[in-house]
Amino acid sequence: MSGGINAWNGLVASGAPEAGIAYFPDDEKPEKVVVLAWLLEEGARRFYKGVEELLEDKKSIRLFKELGAAEVRHKSQLVKLYRELFASGPETSDPFATEELGDVMESGMHISEALDWVKGKGIMEILDYSVAMETNSYDLYIKMERRVKQKELKTVFNSLLNEEKTHLQRLTSLLEERV
Amino acid sequence: MTFLNYFKSVSTWSADEVREFLREKNPEDFNLIDVRQPGEYEQGHLPGAQLIPVGELDARAKELDPNKPTVTY
Repeated sequence: MSGGINAWNGLVASGAPEAGIAYFPDDEKPEKVVVLAWLLEEGARRFYKGVEELLEDKKSIRLFKELGAAEVRHKSQLVKLYRELFASGPETSDPFATEELGDVMESGMHISEALDWVKGKGIMEILDYSVAMETNSYDLYIKMERRVKQKELKTVFNSLLNEEKTHLQRLTSLLEERV
Repeated sequence: MTFLNYFKSVSTWSADEVREFLREKNPEDFNLIDVRQPGEYEQGHLPGAQLIPVGELDARAKELDPNKPTVTY
């Protein structure tokens, strides 16, 4: 339901950027799926960094800092995986250096639009928004894990989806604390 | 294929469309799920909504009748 409980109660929805749902063509190459995962992690890292700079509450800042650091680790895992399975160039080169980063993160949302939206919002709205983002991320890794055939890919995507689930639990715990 | 092509927009119902749906149907004809946190649910929820916080959805999806439409918020 658009706007959630606020819309039901007749309140004006605060216009969070529209989220889309991830979709892969059946014949998508596994290396493309890894690249997409890396780009999403980078987008999430940039979003969390931006949110962290807007917050004042120490506990929330710490959580967003840790979430951002986790995305950096996820990116490293994906680079390692890509090098092992798909890259033919020298090991020192960044396999994703030529990828167009753009301004897009999880759910196809624009990072700049999302950060503009969170400016001036309370911690509850920011947490709500971040929960939606992590939920989409968790859902996406489940889809990726199901889609790929190689054992190495399945293992990494399974590890990532479990970490995203942990992030989701941490965000929802903080949200519940602040209700 | 560009990065954005991996995402499809999702159509959602407005609050008025949900009101109309709930008015026309019997409660046993659909799943109505509140995916927020317990504290938020306790502060107020749609009539008849079942609480399944988003972090528990995968583990508790079996509680939903797959043959019925599901409305979430």
